[in-house]
Amino acid sequence: MTALGAIRCVWLRYFDVYRKSLTYGLVTTFTEPLLYLFSFGFGLGSMIGTVKLLGVEMTYRQFIFAGIVAQTLMFQGFFEAAYGSFIRMYYQRIFQAIAVTPITLSEVLWAEIIWDASKATFSSTVVIVIGVVMGDFSPWGALAAIPLCFAGATLFSALGLLAAAKSRTIEEISYPQYLLIFPMFLFCGVFFPLTTLPVYLQWLAWGLPLTSIVSLMRTLTLGTPLQAQVFIVIAAWFAVLVPWSRQAMSRRLIK
Amino acid sequence: MVPGETPLIVRNLRKEYRVPGGPPLCAVDGISFEIQRGECFGLLGPNGAGKSTSMNCITGFYPATAGEIRLMGYDVFREPRMARQALGVCSQEDTLDSDFTVLDQMIRYGTYFGRKAELIRPRAEALLERFGLTEKSGDLVESLSGGMRRRLQVARSLISSPEVLILDEPTTGMDPEVRRVLWDIIVECRAQGLAILLSTHYMEEAQRLCDRVAILHRGKILDCAPPQNLISHHIGEEMVEEEIRPGVRWKRPSNLEDVYLKLTGKHLENGSHA
Repeated sequence: MTALGAIRCVWLRYFDVYRKSLTYGLVTTFTEPLLYLFSFGFGLGSMIGTVKLLGVEMTYRQFIFAGIVAQTLMFQGFFEAAYGSFIRMYYQRIFQAIAVTPITLSEVLWAEIIWDASKATFSSTVVIVIGVVMGDFSPWGALAAIPLCFAGATLFSALGLLAAAKSRTIEEISYPQYLLIFPMFLFCGVFFPLTTLPVYLQWLAWGLPLTSIVSLMRTLTLGTPLQAQVFIVIAAWFAVLVPWSRQAMSRRLIK
Repeated sequence: MVPGETPLIVRNLRKEYRVPGGPPLCAVDGISFEIQRGECFGLLGPNGAGKSTSMNCITGFYPATAGEIRLMGYDVFREPRMARQALGVCSQEDTLDSDFTVLDQMIRYGTYFGRKAELIRPRAEALLERFGLTEKSGDLVESLSGGMRRRLQVARSLISSPEVLILDEPTTGMDPEVRRVLWDIIVECRAQGLAILLSTHYMEEAQRLCDRVAILHRGKILDCAPPQNLISHHIGEEMVEEEIRPGVRWKRPSNLEDVYLKLTGKHLENGSHA
């Protein structure tokens, strides 16, 4: 068995669990983004009309569609990794059970992050497809956005894994949830252009990963000008979170 | 694996735990032993003696601070994948996968060893039958009693046809009847040539099953020998007299528990060893 084969083997374990409870999986995967989409996209969108972003005019529904794709990958990636991996590590002890087979703990943790990211990418892709069907996204741009979804979801899955590794109890996951995830949801350009915020909040928002992912998502799907700093921000968060989360979970498990 | 090579070799194993703001805590302090094919080797010791830490190092899950562990000739830390191909583990904690049914999790666990699901199903079914769990094949783990869960965990450790089997307190929580069934299975495994490392708190179990026993205390092996030799050497062949409750004394043959209590410094009431 190669390392990739080992990761695939554990990934398939997650997929099988998801497949066995498909109804539950689909409801929890799609309900939330669709509710946001219909509420803000169609409801609020019909009141607001158009938005001008970086010189490009678009309907509010188009504006928020792209934001909700990014928000979906953040929520799905973070929550699945944070709560799911805490349960698998602390209550089910699945990591410990697999890591005494020929599959190493390092491979188990890669599989965990990749599965969480895969599930989040799946959810985000559904929102993208709806955007294309509704005529709000260009098909080619939407296709190009899928790899971004996976990269962003990997980043937020790593954040979730880190939260699980650092939390002594499952309740403590609420700290990053309320202090990091919800502020990103509200202030990183999902619902309104960042330029409406005070300058210091704009700077703060640009330091957070969701802002860059939302911006790049709009570039790919709606053709807004590329803001070059997004690559630096995403790469920096990626480079920090992925190794840190894996190291933190390893230290949590291995004494 | 070179024919005749020792299945499990532990040499000078030392394991220290990190302690925030303090010096490292030495849980295992330079232990060495080997287990041959068809041998059941017991690790006995009080809580905190280092039994589970040693087992976690032997599986390669915990890195050793120093020392060497070889499973079927492979270094467990440098070649974990090759080493663990031959390893079956039943850990002290319940690590059953509650997302799968009894049969499905046996099969799923087999896939972690690179086996194809369809090829491993017959063995999974045979093991469930041997462990009296066939009727529960389609049930989720949460519907099993504590004893059944423990049996399933031992059954799962055998799914990959291991050559080295690690059993960390496998009979904890089992009723006497089921415990005896598991003892029979361990005897069968030994007869089939498996090298078995068994940790237990039940002295009768160790005395009955183990060819050799190591008494572990504060991370060190105090003595290691066949149970009867340990008894002869440390207690003698005479009857042991002990007061089982105030005013009631009895004499009985000496056993491994007397050795354990003597070596670990936990004497019977009145210090009544013969």
